[in-house]
Amino acid sequence: MIDEDVAEHTLDKASPKDGRALVEVKLESSQNNEISIKSGNVHSVSSSADAGMYVRVVADRGIGFASANRISKSTGADLARKAMRLARAGRRKERIRLSSEKTATASWSVKQRIRLSDVSNDERLQYLKSLDSEIMLTGVKIHGRYFEVVDSEVEAYFASSEGSRIRSMVPKLRMASLNTVSSKGETEQSIREWGATGGWEKTEEWNVGPALAEEMRILKDLIDRGKSVKPGEYDLVCGPEVAGIAAHESCGHPMEADRILGREMSQAGKSFVKPSMLGESIGSEHATVIDDPTVPGSYGYYEYDDEGVKAKPRFLYKKGIINEFLHNRETAGKLRLKSNASSRSSVYEKEPIVRMANTFVAPGELGEEEIMESVKEGVFMKSFTEWNIDDKRYNQKYVSREAYFIEDGELAGPARGCVLEITTPRFWKSLDGVSRRVEFTAAECGKGDPMQGIAVYTGGPLMRLREVHLK
Amino acid sequence: MSYLKETAAQLVEAAREEDADDAIAEVFDSSIDQIRYSNSMIDTSNHWETIHAHVFVAVGSRTMASDVRDLRRGADTVREVVGLARKSPVNKDYGGIASGRFKYKSGRVDKRIASLRNPAKYVLDAIDGAVSGGAPDVGGTFFVRNSRWGIASSKGASAEDANASLDLSVRAFTQPEASGQAVLVTANLDRMKASETGARAAELAISANDSVPGEEGKLDLVMEPLFLGGVVGATASMVSGLSVELGMSMFDKKIGKQVASEEITLADDPFMKSMSRRMFDHEGRPSRKNVVIKNGSLKMLLHNTSTAKRFKVRPTASTGPLVATLFSMPSEPMMFHPVLETGDQKIEELVEDVKNGLYINNTWYTRFQNYSTGDFSTIPRDAVLRIRNGEVIGAVKNIRVSDNLMKFWKNVDALSRTPEEIYWWDEAAPPAHLPAARVRKMRITRSS
Repeated sequence: MIDEDVAEHTLDKASPKDGRALVEVKLESSQNNEISIKSGNVHSVSSSADAGMYVRVVADRGIGFASANRISKSTGADLARKAMRLARAGRRKERIRLSSEKTATASWSVKQRIRLSDVSNDERLQYLKSLDSEIMLTGVKIHGRYFEVVDSEVEAYFASSEGSRIRSMVPKLRMASLNTVSSKGETEQSIREWGATGGWEKTEEWNVGPALAEEMRILKDLIDRGKSVKPGEYDLVCGPEVAGIAAHESCGHPMEADRILGREMSQAGKSFVKPSMLGESIGSEHATVIDDPTVPGSYGYYEYDDEGVKAKPRFLYKKGIINEFLHNRETAGKLRLKSNASSRSSVYEKEPIVRMANTFVAPGELGEEEIMESVKEGVFMKSFTEWNIDDKRYNQKYVSREAYFIEDGELAGPARGCVLEITTPRFWKSLDGVSRRVEFTAAECGKGDPMQGIAVYTGGPLMRLREVHLK
Repeated sequence: MSYLKETAAQLVEAAREEDADDAIAEVFDSSIDQIRYSNSMIDTSNHWETIHAHVFVAVGSRTMASDVRDLRRGADTVREVVGLARKSPVNKDYGGIASGRFKYKSGRVDKRIASLRNPAKYVLDAIDGAVSGGAPDVGGTFFVRNSRWGIASSKGASAEDANASLDLSVRAFTQPEASGQAVLVTANLDRMKASETGARAAELAISANDSVPGEEGKLDLVMEPLFLGGVVGATASMVSGLSVELGMSMFDKKIGKQVASEEITLADDPFMKSMSRRMFDHEGRPSRKNVVIKNGSLKMLLHNTSTAKRFKVRPTASTGPLVATLFSMPSEPMMFHPVLETGDQKIEELVEDVKNGLYINNTWYTRFQNYSTGDFSTIPRDAVLRIRNGEVIGAVKNIRVSDNLMKFWKNVDALSRTPEEIYWWDEAAPPAHLPAARVRKMRITRSS
């Protein structure tokens, strides 16, 4: 149990009497477990406990952050001095203006039906082995066969000099697999990830085994019967996985206000979006993208961000309009807006920065059959393998993993290596229909320096794009 | 014996007392300062201090690794780890740990880096260098890294090491879509040229002014070391035995085969004075220089003790961290400091011999369609300059290199004569010494 007195003592040591600096203290304690198998045998097993704290000081013209992997009053006092010194050494030309936010006193946690701490390594191993057995039963030739499950229980206590006091307990679970299917001397790869907040019961909900077994068969069929797409203009139906990566890469990232304001300019880059573009058109009326930390059980779930602001859904693109940026208090203050609780730190050793949570394309009114039936000649890109996007988030590429030709509204055989290379406005303006049911995929989003990998969901319904160039 | 080695030895002893058959403990003590800046102003100053240990134990073939974060109760934690190992499933692939009477070389550390008092000065110099050079909008990071680490094992490892380095990254903008990126990475304070690094980023940014959309086609590329750093990083992750086992490498069954042009000799040289110099791997085996590709021919894969046993070869002192990191699996064999042998040309000569091509400053977001075939794409960024008949005629944007990684290496036909140490974020990583390179006929694509 984290000792709240350490936070109070640290705040007391750090807070200047004139009140002209915000001081935030976060204490964090975690238990982390990992087990992996390769070709049916144990590859690695690890288990680590961690505890540490950070002090963040926002002064008039600088921000200071100091952390250490221990929790004590003396550590807190030492970090407080360092963070204050670093903040006061800041030489910004403009004063830092944080958005004014309600303080919060709260305690939140995510329930586990089967506690992660009650699951033995043997049980974890049996789970992974069952997945391996399931794909082996397909008879498909599979190389690698790597499966890992990683879980953590993170207890945290946040306190600020403004008065917020927030305690949290978050269990998180992630499963990943790497498999290479070969047939006729060729290969296709499947690199997959599942994730959630919650307990071991999530592994039952994911139903990974049948899904992976089916994918192994599909990838073999893709090698055996798949045909490449003749370059040209087609209607494209994107599956939820593709809709999700597009929502994340070409909406979520460019709508991060710290990027828009240049804060990430030398790493992840800036954004094609400028502050003045709020209210401008970016896509069709069907292009609504939401980032919502409050999706129950989601991998990116949280109730308060790392500045103590209460989480809520953010409507980034709304009916094709650039509607709302992702903000922390600093970016919101600079644009004279309110924070929408997007400040997150992946671990106590990293400064909180603007992050996505669960980013997805909003559902529409169409049935999935209606989406398919309305395509005369096109491609259904159900999932993707290679992808990337430039640092202004304008030029993106998605290469299909599982894809099919569509002829007269019917699936007409596997399409192999279908490439969509398209600009962001063209992507969202080509969207003319979405289905009703949203599905999510877990991912680790990388940003910041030092790099912070953070848990997110990406997702969406089926999306129909008209007349896009495929190759 | 320093407290690092001593603590490591105590942790190993605790494991032995619990009847662990094998044990390794590596204790790390680091102090890192970072200044982040953007819009030509310092944003944040960060300070981290971390003391912890990675511990690996085996009871028979039951293995367990742990990041021991609280060393005050380190021995108790190790006892618990051994207990967990005893309850863990049998690891049939486990092949033991480094064993022997090891002798270690020692490396020198620039102590002035450890006592650097005003790192902000270098950042302000870099900003000033870029702004004076004509780029008003500048951002980046400056790290001062000081690390010490000690290792002990139940099979003879006992060593300690230290390093101190500086890494400065400067990205300068002259127009919203005209930028240049320059880095300076060094373990020698005398080599820190912050203002010049800023000026170089500005020079590149100016050259990228008024860019026009690039064309699709097959073009020759002249790449700065920073660009090459991204490609070498992707290649480095494929030259391990583990990557081959996982199907995550294009080097399966390629030992002795030509995987690159004769210009290419790629080694892992942990001894080189650099940001990633180290005198032993994470099993405690003394470092060695491994020439992985010699004149284009794949000579070896990198191994830890277990993968070496499975491949029936000798370990290569390449064991990575015992506990998973953001970018590596536990004990994954890895390159610590890739070094690409230089060529004999000046960069101007690399450009002069290009009829139809591009000069590229940097790249990011390198991703694979299929690791086992090497099909990939990467997105050039910062200065991307059009070359016609040996001359730079302007700047382009919005392009992507979409091709095959082995073809990339096979098509390299010239390298520059001067290497640079490069490291940038986690894109041009791990830290490496690289020249500039010219590669023929790579496929360029763009958005519709």
